[in-house]
Amino acid sequence: MPVSYLKNFNTNTMNKEELIAKLKLIIKPYTTNIEAYDNLTEETDFINDLSINSANLVDIILDIEETFDVVIDNTDMERMLDVKTAVEIIETKLAQK
Amino acid sequence: MIGNDVIDLVQSRIESNWRRKGFIDKIFTPDEQMLISNATDPEIMVWLLWSMKEAAYKVYNRQTKIREFNPQKLVCSILSENNTTTGSVRCSENTYYTQTVITPENIHTIAVRHFDDLDKVIEIENKAIAKDENGIPFLTEVSHTVQDVSISHHGRFEKVVTLTSASSILNK
Repeated sequence: MPVSYLKNFNTNTMNKEELIAKLKLIIKPYTTNIEAYDNLTEETDFINDLSINSANLVDIILDIEETFDVVIDNTDMERMLDVKTAVEIIETKLAQK
Repeated sequence: MIGNDVIDLVQSRIESNWRRKGFIDKIFTPDEQMLISNATDPEIMVWLLWSMKEAAYKVYNRQTKIREFNPQKLVCSILSENNTTTGSVRCSENTYYTQTVITPENIHTIAVRHFDDLDKVIEIENKAIAKDENGIPFLTEVSHTVQDVSISHHGRFEKVVTLTSASSILNK
């Protein structure tokens, strides 16, 4: 990613690919399954595939809130078990801004 | 039905910063937050309540096949604290009963649907364990007998538990 891009980084106008890239960076410190992480797709499950422990799932949600400046309530969090759902929820929250 | 959860306290100190802004608010109900702030050792209370939620969720997941991540939906109460901590966890219309053993090294909670079953839980070795199509483990040994088990692994510890009344195979 070029530096100029990062400087102008605006979470409100992100496309899906950028959003997944950003999400992937958030997930990285919490995953213990490097192979599944490297092969991450929308279908990837945080717990079953990436072996993320559920306490760290809370950290991921807090990191998402901080990075994208959104609020994830309990109803959204309940479904946030895979990349696809996380992306959907972030997209919805960004559109509401 | 049975569920369990073990927390390696050395591992949790490496992996989780429970004092992080927002962490407690996301996981715990206002009443649970009071238990934590009033506790002599808040760290132990955090992981005691968390392991109760995790163990109860495993029973709930086994019972309903529902998969969801909503820690505040699992509402903990502590009933007694002696050598072990006995509690209950409410989730929707279900109530589960828990028993927790706390050592300097780990916290281990078992959860069951009926209070009397707490006395029937035993630890077993991780052998002859298979998983069904929902990823739920069961114990399979001798002939066609199958039996519910719950497995929890964290850091240095792995705990496998089952209910003695579920089958007679363990008495053989």
